Amino acid sequence: MKRQPPDFDPVTLEICRALYTSVAEEMGIALRRTAHSPNIKERRDYSCAVFDAAGRVVAQGDHMPVHLGSMPMAVAAALNETHIAPGDVIALNDPFAGGTHLPDVTLVAGVFARSRRAPLFYVANRAHHADIGGGSPGSMGMAADVYGEGLRIPPVHLVRGGRVNEDVMRLLLANVRGADERRADFAAQTGALQTGATRLLEIVARAGAREAVSYAAHLINYSARMMRAAIKEIPDGVYEAEDALDDDGVASDAPCVLRVRVCIEGARARVDFTGSAAQVAGPVNAVEAITVSAVAYVFRCLLGAGEVPASAGLMEPIEVHAPRGTIVNALPPAPVAGGNVETSQRIVDVLFKALARALPGRIPAASQGTMNNLTIGGVDARNGREFAYYETVAGGMGARPAHDGLSAVHTHMTNSLNTPIEALEYAYPLRVREYAIRANSGGAGKRRGGHGVVREIETLSDARMSLLADRRRLAPYGLAGGADGRAGQDSIVRVDEGGRARARRINAKGSWELKAGDRVRIETPGGGGHGKKV
Amino acid sequence: MRVGVDTGGTFTDFVYAARDGRLSIFKLASTPDDPARAIAEGLRRIAAETGAARVNDLEIVHGTTVGTNALLQRRGARAALVTTAGFEDVLAIGRQARPALYDLDAERPEAIIPRALRFGVRERVAATGEVLEALDEGALAGLVERLRRARVESVAICLLFSFVRPEHEKLIARALESLCVPLSVSHEILPEYREFERTSTVAINAYLQPLLGAYLKKLSAPGLRVMQSSGGSISAGRAAREPVRTILSGPAGGVVGALNAALAAGSTDIITFDMGGTSTDVSLCAGGRMRTTNEATVAALPVAVPVLDIHTVGAGGGSIARVDAGGSLRVGPESAGASPGPAAYGRGTLPTVTDANLVLGRFGGAGLLGGDFALDERRAHDALAGLAREMGAASGRRTTAHEAALGVVRVVNAGMERALRVVSVERGFDSRAFALVSFGGAGGLHAVALAASLRIPRVIVPRRPGALSALGALASDVVLDASRTVMLDAAGGRLDELERAFRQMERAARAALKREGFADERRTQRHARSVAARYRGQSFELEIEWKSAAKLAAAFHRAHLARYGYAEPESAVEVVSARLRSRGLVAKLKRERVAQSANASVVAPHHSALVYFTIKPARVGVYARDDLRAGARLKTPCIVTEYSATTLVPAGTHAHIDADGNLIIEL
Repeated sequence: MKRQPPDFDPVTLEICRALYTSVAEEMGIALRRTAHSPNIKERRDYSCAVFDAAGRVVAQGDHMPVHLGSMPMAVAAALNETHIAPGDVIALNDPFAGGTHLPDVTLVAGVFARSRRAPLFYVANRAHHADIGGGSPGSMGMAADVYGEGLRIPPVHLVRGGRVNEDVMRLLLANVRGADERRADFAAQTGALQTGATRLLEIVARAGAREAVSYAAHLINYSARMMRAAIKEIPDGVYEAEDALDDDGVASDAPCVLRVRVCIEGARARVDFTGSAAQVAGPVNAVEAITVSAVAYVFRCLLGAGEVPASAGLMEPIEVHAPRGTIVNALPPAPVAGGNVETSQRIVDVLFKALARALPGRIPAASQGTMNNLTIGGVDARNGREFAYYETVAGGMGARPAHDGLSAVHTHMTNSLNTPIEALEYAYPLRVREYAIRANSGGAGKRRGGHGVVREIETLSDARMSLLADRRRLAPYGLAGGADGRAGQDSIVRVDEGGRARARRINAKGSWELKAGDRVRIETPGGGGHGKKV
Repeated sequence: MRVGVDTGGTFTDFVYAARDGRLSIFKLASTPDDPARAIAEGLRRIAAETGAARVNDLEIVHGTTVGTNALLQRRGARAALVTTAGFEDVLAIGRQARPALYDLDAERPEAIIPRALRFGVRERVAATGEVLEALDEGALAGLVERLRRARVESVAICLLFSFVRPEHEKLIARALESLCVPLSVSHEILPEYREFERTSTVAINAYLQPLLGAYLKKLSAPGLRVMQSSGGSISAGRAAREPVRTILSGPAGGVVGALNAALAAGSTDIITFDMGGTSTDVSLCAGGRMRTTNEATVAALPVAVPVLDIHTVGAGGGSIARVDAGGSLRVGPESAGASPGPAAYGRGTLPTVTDANLVLGRFGGAGLLGGDFALDERRAHDALAGLAREMGAASGRRTTAHEAALGVVRVVNAGMERALRVVSVERGFDSRAFALVSFGGAGGLHAVALAASLRIPRVIVPRRPGALSALGALASDVVLDASRTVMLDAAGGRLDELERAFRQMERAARAALKREGFADERRTQRHARSVAARYRGQSFELEIEWKSAAKLAAAFHRAHLARYGYAEPESAVEVVSARLRSRGLVAKLKRERVAQSANASVVAPHHSALVYFTIKPARVGVYARDDLRAGARLKTPCIVTEYSATTLVPAGTHAHIDADGNLIIEL
C-alpha cells in the first residue's frame, strides 16, 4: 500500500506556526499592559491561547508553564457546560472543572466569521487575580477545603452578546476584596480576548477559513511529530523516582511523597504517578490539570529551545496516569491553592529525577522547587483602603550538566517577575528592607547550583500575612555527585520595646497577624549542584 | 561645513554638504580595532577636497557603534556601583525572570558590574521623600578609600527613591569627586521610578563612560556632535558624560535619514524598513515625528532613557533556511553572516535568503556592490536544490529548487510582515495610511511584497539608501530629553506640581541648549511637553502630549482606546512622569538639485533578465539607478539595481523617480 503523504506545504505550515503563536503572544501583551492586579501586570502570571473549533490548543504564548496542559480543560469545561454565541465571554475558575486554583480566572470566547453560526476558533486567557475571596487576603492562605479558599466559579456567562452580565458580575464583585481592581482586570482580560479574535479573523480574511482551520490542525500534528522525535531520542526503558513535599502545612510534619514511573517505548511515553500520597488536609493538592501541565512542561523542555507551538499535539504521544484521590489528582472539596504553585514544582522535580537516569547528560539538578508565595493584606492605614499584596520570590536554579545554575530566577512552572521595590512602596503600606542574592545557598559541584534570594519586607499597617512555600526541610537535590542546594527558611522580625530586633523562625506554610513595624524575612532555596566537585 | 559620519561594521560612510547644497558621499573601509582611524582619514580627505583650512573647522555629526559593541562584547570599563545598603544585588537579580522558558541550558550574562564592585551605603528615603535613615557623611571617606583601592575606572550612583529626594546621591557624588573618575548619578540621568531599570541604565552609562570619553577625545574635533538613540544629536562633551544615550546611535541615524527623505517626498506617516545581512530593523513615524520608547533593551539589559522605538528581528539576507524535524520550513535565526556568508558568496553551502533571491533571478544578473562582488549562482542553486529535497521528503510532494526558493522568500516575508505589524497595527496604527521606506542592502527585494500584504499603498526607496544613516546624522537636530517621576492623580489638585516640574526642566534645557550654541531661544529652540500616564492601578504608561490638565484625561482615554481597543472613562488617570523633549534646530540642508529627465515618458531599461516572481519566470527590464533622472517613469515589472541595493518592482505597480531622486513605487 502506498504511504499517504502528509497533506501540507512546509512553507504555509511555517507561516501559520509563527502567526498563531504571535496571536497568543499579542493577547498576552495587551493583557499585561492593561491589567490592574500586580500579579498580572508586574508578575505576568497569566496565559493566553488559541483553540480550534473542537477546543484543542493550536498555540499558547510563552507565558506560564503551569497553564500549559490545563488551559484545554478550561475550554472543554466551558464548551460542555455553556453555549458560546458571538459576543459571549465565559468565566470560570473551578479547579475541579478546568481550573487550577481559585485566583486563576479563565475567560473564554468564540471567534466567529461573519457568515457562520459555529465558531472557527476559540480564544482564552487565564490570569491570577490579586484576590478571589475566602478567609485570607490574596486567597492563597491555609484553608480546610476549597470553599474556604475563595469563590468557586463554574463556567458562567460574564459577557452575553457583547454586554456585561451584570447579575454575574455583581455576584462576583460582592465576594472578593478590591472589587474595582477585579472589574478592571476582567475588562483587561476581555479586551485581550477581543485582540486575539480580531487577529484570528484577519488571518481568516486573508487565508480563507478553510486554510486557516486546516493549518491549525496541521500545527497540532506538527507539534506531535516534534514531540515523537524528541521521545525517540530517549533510550527505551522504565525510569522511576521519588521526591516529596516537606509537609502539607496542616495535619502533620510528615513528607507528602510523590512517585513516578516513566516508561519510554519508541516514540511514546507513559507517565504513571501510582504510589503518590493520598490527597491531604493542607492546600498542597494538585488537580489533574496541574499534573498534566507539569508533564507537558518537562517534555516540552526536552524539545530544546526551538519554537514549537505549545499545541494539543505535544501531549499526543504522552499518556499520563494520575490516580484519583491522590495529591496529584485531588477530588473536591480538597483545598488546592498550593497545588498550582508548590506541588506542580515537585512533580517537575520528580519527573526530571526519573529522566536523569535516562538522559544524564541533559537533565539539570533540582531547582528551588517552590514559588515562595507571600501574601500580605489588610487595611492601608494611610488611606483606609483595603490592600492585598501577593508575590512569589525567586530562588536558585539547579546546575546543568554543562553550566552552573542561574541565581535568583524563577524556575520551571513559573516565570513571573518581581514587583519593583519602588512600585511596591508606592502601592502598598509596605517597605522592602533587603533584597539580595542569598550567598552560598547553591549546591556545590562540578557545576554549582544557583543561589537563592533574601527578601525582607516590613509592614507599615497591621496586616495578615500568609506564606505558602516548600523545600524548607527536604533540600533541592544535586545530581551526579553534586551537593544539594540549601533549604529555604523564613522568619518574622519584630522590634521589641528595648529597640532590639528579634527574629522568630516560622513554618513555611501558615498565616500570621502582623503588627505595623513587623518584618517578614524569606530566604529561598538554592539549586542543587551537578557532578562531583574536583 | 557640516559632515555626517556613520561607522558601520564594514564601511564608514561620510556625507558632506557643499555651500550650494550639493551633497558628496564616500565610503571608507571601517577600522574596527580603532574606528577613529577611518574617521580621521575621511575628515582629512574632506578638508582637502573642500579647501577647509583645517579639520577643526568642520562641524561633524557622528553615528557610532563604539558603545553598542563594547556592551555586546562586554568590553566596558571596571565600573563600580554605589547603592542603598541591602540592595547591592538589584542589578544582578533583575526582574527574577529566566531568559528562556523551556531551554534548560539557557545562560544569562553576568551583571556588568560584579558583586565585588557593588557597594552599599546605609541610607534610606521613602516614596514620600521622607528620610528614613540619613546618610552618614562620615562614612563616605571610607567608601572613597575602598573605591580607590578597587582601582575603579568609573562609578554609578543609584539609591532607592533618589528621584524624589536626590540629596543623598548629591552628597555621595561630591565625596567621590576626589577619585577623579567619571560619575553616573541616577537622579541626573534618569530621575524615574523602577529601581532595576534605573540602576541598569546608570550602570551601563558608567560602564561605557571611560571608553566613549577616550574615543571622542581622540577624534578631537571641536565641532563634534554624536547621534543619540533617540534620533537627535548631542555635543561630544555631553555624549561622553551620558554615553548610554548613544547606544543605538547608528540605527537612529537611519530612521532620521529615512524620515527626511519621506518628508521631502510628501509622506509624513512612514514605516522604516532596514533589512541587512543578519537582522532587520523596523520603526514607525507618525505625523512626521519619530516615536521613542523608554522600555528598550540592548544586549539583554534594560535601557530606560528614550530610544527610538525600533523593533529588530533576527532575520536578514544571510538567514539560513532548513526543514525541521516536524516538516516546517524554518528561516533563521541562524545566520551565515559575512563568513562563510550565503552559498553564493563562494564559501558556505547552506541555503540563505540571498541565495533564494539569486536563484529567482532577482538581482537582475548583477553582482553586489555595483558588480564589484560576484555571486556564484551555481552554488546557490545547489544549496536550494538540497533544501527542495528536504521539503519534498517532509511533505511528500516533489519540490523544485525554484519552489524552495519561493518558499524561503515567503517565510522570511511573513517574519518581516509580523515585525512591521508589531510597530504599526499592534500599536494602534492603520498600516494602510503609511508609506514603507526601504533601505539597507536586502530590503528592496522584499519591500513591495511586504507593502502589498499590509496594504501599504506606497514604497519609497530613498536616493543613496546605503548612506542614509550618515545623511540622517548630518541633518539631525540637537535633542535633550529630560524626565521626572511625579506620581500624581490627573484629577487631583496637585497638578501645579507637574507644572513646576515642567518649568524646572525647561529652564535647565534652555540653558543647556544655549551652551550648545542655540542662543536665540525663540527661533532655534523648541520644547515639547508630554506625560507618561496610566489608569491608576495599571503598571504600564502611555505617553501623551501635554496640552493642559483639562485635556489630559480625554486624550488618555483616546490613546488607550486606540492602543488596546477599550477605555475606562470612569477610572482615575494617573500622571507617572513628566517628560520634556527640547530641540536645538539645526539649519535645514539646502534641497539638492537632481538632474531632471528630458521628458516624462517611460524610460527604457538598461538590460533585461529572467526573473521568477512566481514559479513561471518572466523576462523583465533591469534599470541602473544611477542612470535614472528625476521624473523618469519605469516600465513594470522591473528590477532597479544600484551600488548597495537592489529593488524588485512587481507588475501592477507604478514606479517613478521623484524630484529629489527617490524611487517611488505606488501599489
